[in-house]
Amino acid sequence: MLPLSLLNAAQNKPMLVELKNGETFNGHLVNCDNFMNITLREVYQTNAEGDRFWKLKECYIRGSTIKYLRVPDQLLDAVKDEQNRAREAGRSSRGGPHVGGRGGRGAPPRGGRGGRGGPIRGGRGRGRGA
Amino acid sequence: MDSLIPFTTSGSLVDCVDRKMLVILRDGRKLQGVLRSYDQFANLVLEDTVERIYNGNAFAENWLGLFLIRGENVVLLGEIDLDREDEIPLKQVDYHVLDPYHKRDAEIKKQREDAKSKILYEQQGFCKEGGEGDGY
Repeated sequence: MLPLSLLNAAQNKPMLVELKNGETFNGHLVNCDNFMNITLREVYQTNAEGDRFWKLKECYIRGSTIKYLRVPDQLLDAVKDEQNRAREAGRSSRGGPHVGGRGGRGAPPRGGRGGRGGPIRGGRGRGRGA
Repeated sequence: MDSLIPFTTSGSLVDCVDRKMLVILRDGRKLQGVLRSYDQFANLVLEDTVERIYNGNAFAENWLGLFLIRGENVVLLGEIDLDREDEIPLKQVDYHVLDPYHKRDAEIKKQREDAKSKILYEQQGFCKEGGEGDGY
């Protein structure tokens, strides 16, 4: 579960975003992308000193201005459950214990081959298929 | 660490996953939590995060929960030795008691830094910090 997939999974969930300048935005996540750009709805904005507030219907925040996001604690568990369900579904539809052939994370033992452009093809490569 | 994994963000943080970590941010905040995930930018997912503030020989904690930290803001990431974390010669106090002192110290420090950079700028030919984009 990469940080950005967690963010994706947080859609429609409440969150607090703090910008690098200290301003905070409290609202529900509408959408996000891989740059961490986000849109929030029903937002409470707070200035860096924490003494002034604004209410915004909707707002867009550029990813590069973000310091951190605080998301609901249950989200991590929810995402894990979701992943497990997806894996189970994939397994049963294919009718075998094999999940997704090669690839994915948790790579096989490294080492040995691995330099660049060795003359021997078809060894352990990144390529697809056989 | 597995010497076959090159020294990159992703290479050096694998060992830290599911460990209790200390994270110091660029704004000086100190967070402790369990590192659950990270990526090539060192964006971090911290679970059960607490913020710790220090003043004199006292410290205080504030529970904050699940964090997603944008990697650029991280100054330091260090593993906490669970066997020794309680051996510190500081006493824990209530967060609300320590917070005003901590805020005051931060304010004093900021004023000193401002005065310092003013002198460096006006007398020593340094450039101004906090130019465009610096505050964001």
